[in-house]
Amino acid sequence: MTRQPRLATRIFAHLAVIVLVMVVLYPVMLVVKKAFEPGRDFALSPSPIPTTLTLDNFRGLFGTQGSHGEYLFVRQALNSVVIALATTVVGVFLSCTAAYALSRFRFPGRKTGLTTFVVVQMFPSTLLIMPLYVVLDKLGLLNSITGLVLVYSTTAIPFCVWTLKGYFDGLPRELEEAARIDGASAWLIFRKIILPLARPGLAVTALFSFMTAWNEFILASTFMTSESRYTLPVLIQSSVGEFSSQYGLFAAGAIVTSVPVMAVFYVLQKYLVGGLTAGAVKG
Amino acid sequence: MTLHRQLRDFAVAAAFAMVIASVAFIAVRNREVIERQFDLADRSTVAVAEDREPLPTVHGAIVGPPTASRAHPFLRHREVREGGWRTLEASPLHPDDKLFYDAATRFDRDRQPFVELLRDGSGRAVAARAHGAREIAVAVTVPIQPAHYPLLVMIGVLGLGAALTAAGALVGGAALRAGSFAGVAALAIPTLLWGSWFAAVAILLIALAVTQLQRAGLTDRLATGLRAHRTALGFLAPAGVAMLVLVATPFLLGLVLGFYDHHQGTWSFVGLHNFIEILSGNGRALDDPLNFWFTLGVTVLWTTCNIALHVSIGVALALLLSRKWMRGKGVFRMLLILPWAIPNYITALMWHGMFDGQYSAINSILQHLGVHGVSWWTSWLPAFASNVITNTWLGFPFMMVVALGALQNIPTELYEAAAVDGASSWQRFRHITLPHLRPALGPAIALGSIWTFNMFNVIYLVSNGKPGGATNILVTDAYRWAFERGDRYGMAAAYGTIIFLVLLLWNVLGGRIVRAKGDDA
Repeated sequence: MTRQPRLATRIFAHLAVIVLVMVVLYPVMLVVKKAFEPGRDFALSPSPIPTTLTLDNFRGLFGTQGSHGEYLFVRQALNSVVIALATTVVGVFLSCTAAYALSRFRFPGRKTGLTTFVVVQMFPSTLLIMPLYVVLDKLGLLNSITGLVLVYSTTAIPFCVWTLKGYFDGLPRELEEAARIDGASAWLIFRKIILPLARPGLAVTALFSFMTAWNEFILASTFMTSESRYTLPVLIQSSVGEFSSQYGLFAAGAIVTSVPVMAVFYVLQKYLVGGLTAGAVKG
Repeated sequence: MTLHRQLRDFAVAAAFAMVIASVAFIAVRNREVIERQFDLADRSTVAVAEDREPLPTVHGAIVGPPTASRAHPFLRHREVREGGWRTLEASPLHPDDKLFYDAATRFDRDRQPFVELLRDGSGRAVAARAHGAREIAVAVTVPIQPAHYPLLVMIGVLGLGAALTAAGALVGGAALRAGSFAGVAALAIPTLLWGSWFAAVAILLIALAVTQLQRAGLTDRLATGLRAHRTALGFLAPAGVAMLVLVATPFLLGLVLGFYDHHQGTWSFVGLHNFIEILSGNGRALDDPLNFWFTLGVTVLWTTCNIALHVSIGVALALLLSRKWMRGKGVFRMLLILPWAIPNYITALMWHGMFDGQYSAINSILQHLGVHGVSWWTSWLPAFASNVITNTWLGFPFMMVVALGALQNIPTELYEAAAVDGASSWQRFRHITLPHLRPALGPAIALGSIWTFNMFNVIYLVSNGKPGGATNILVTDAYRWAFERGDRYGMAAAYGTIIFLVLLLWNVLGGRIVRAKGDDA
């Protein structure tokens, strides 16, 4: 780093990065092109620039009607928003209290608790799909939004606990000790000191919980049996079928559903990595 | 003090006992209700089939064979004999018509008399049996109110138990322990009256456990421990309860179901049969995609290929982007993490679209380069490669960002000192950069390998296991056992257990390696 390499090396390095950026951008541009181009096939020409522009795909997407004439996209978008927000609230509440306990208190079984969260995180909910199906069926929660929210929160908790624990570990303890000497209760300290300090960490866990629910289709399509209860990923995934694919609808739907999360992701991404590595390194 | 302790232990034990008793009550009550409903429905079909009236409150009638509708030839009509014959229709006038139609269709499929509960939770039962050659006798019972929870009985028994415990405590000596036992055991009385032996025995065991724990002084120690750590436990409780209900229960259920076989709605115990079938490959050759060991091999290959590509591309980019002379670093970084921001099911579908078909985007590009179009899903290597390409595109930004973060933390003085000492660029990379990358990359690789191992969406949506299931990994294969190969839930559960053990092993070994490397670094 002390001296610059030769010009040729520098140009080559820039070119390499630019090529990779193009590899990254190309598929995304194809999707954008498809969204504004008529027709249902994906890419008949490899050029990422659309030749004819139309909003038909978006009109088709918003206008998809179910068997009772209801607007499916609006309905499913509403489902997705409700489910994702509920998952965020439940997930963040459950994990921030648990993470605080694991970060600040020493009690028997703490190590076991931490290990449990790691082990649970390793085990994908796709594998629990079958026993979960049985449990939800017995509880009468199949085809219900509550059931799906409960399942998603479970999926999100272990990761959120780890991230938040790493974040809490990094906060100075002096403030808490001062507050304790002044006679503040643990709950007050947690609410008035820890939570405000941990805002970036909370934002990341909220983003993660939200994305867990917003981007999931396999549990949703298995547990929900009626079209009006499906979430957006189910709708989008079903537009690309084995025998008939409507890539126009897919592309329009992909843009509408991913742009909001992507925006939030870009705002919060630098905390995301910090949380990940902090949680993992400090164990 | 003794009284206080005795009542405290009684309260805890009673809470457990009440849960057991309540479950027993619900189970027994439901069984009785269902049996009664089944009996009503079944006897009514017999009566209707013999051209008599159904039992009172039961709605029964003869349903005719299906006939094609005149207006819509693809629709089938059925007639029902209620007084005269009329067509079954979906109308508010005849709310049971749909039930009759469905029951008749179901009967025509199997030609077996059946009786079952409606799936709507109303507690109604429906039964059907043959009437003559083509007609069907169908009966539907009315909804039933479940019996009320015997709240007064429960409160009374609790009071009795508390009184017994208190009496024992006041008398002291041997009566102390007898009181504890009798107090909890009293809660078993109602379960005995309902005929639930299992619950009664469970409650007696709890009673026994309480007296034994008290004798060993464990209840006191537990109480002190809980009091000492009550703040921590309070904070932990909400997540703990949620995990218990939503993770532990399905997980344990999954473990148990692995020993059962599921066939058309009924479960039967088969012992280790599922596990043996999976692990022995069930007589399939080792290169058969349905052989467990084949899938395991594909999964391991899939995970290692991906992690190797993610790490090498990610680290290479991070090294380039951390150079001082690099222009437009911020812009490049923003663009390069784009794949991470896109929901992965959308990425997978997008790449599926780019590979799929003779004139796909990728094939067109290959043709421009002079390569003949590839049929991506008909042989193993291209299908596997398409999955790996998709997942590499999706996964390298994470490694890049982690590596960038670690590189930023390396003090520049180290490089300057090394340059003064005449170290070559390789030596600087080997002895400065790499040791600083390791502590951050180790956990990232551990995390990434678990994500990749479980990357259901990419496999399911890109190659979908084609050709012939050969590119399935363990998680997608387990899913197929549950939902695409004849609802073999037991098999899928056993598969889940095995995958869990594989993952555990993977992580324990992986953790060892990471830790060992971290120590010598």
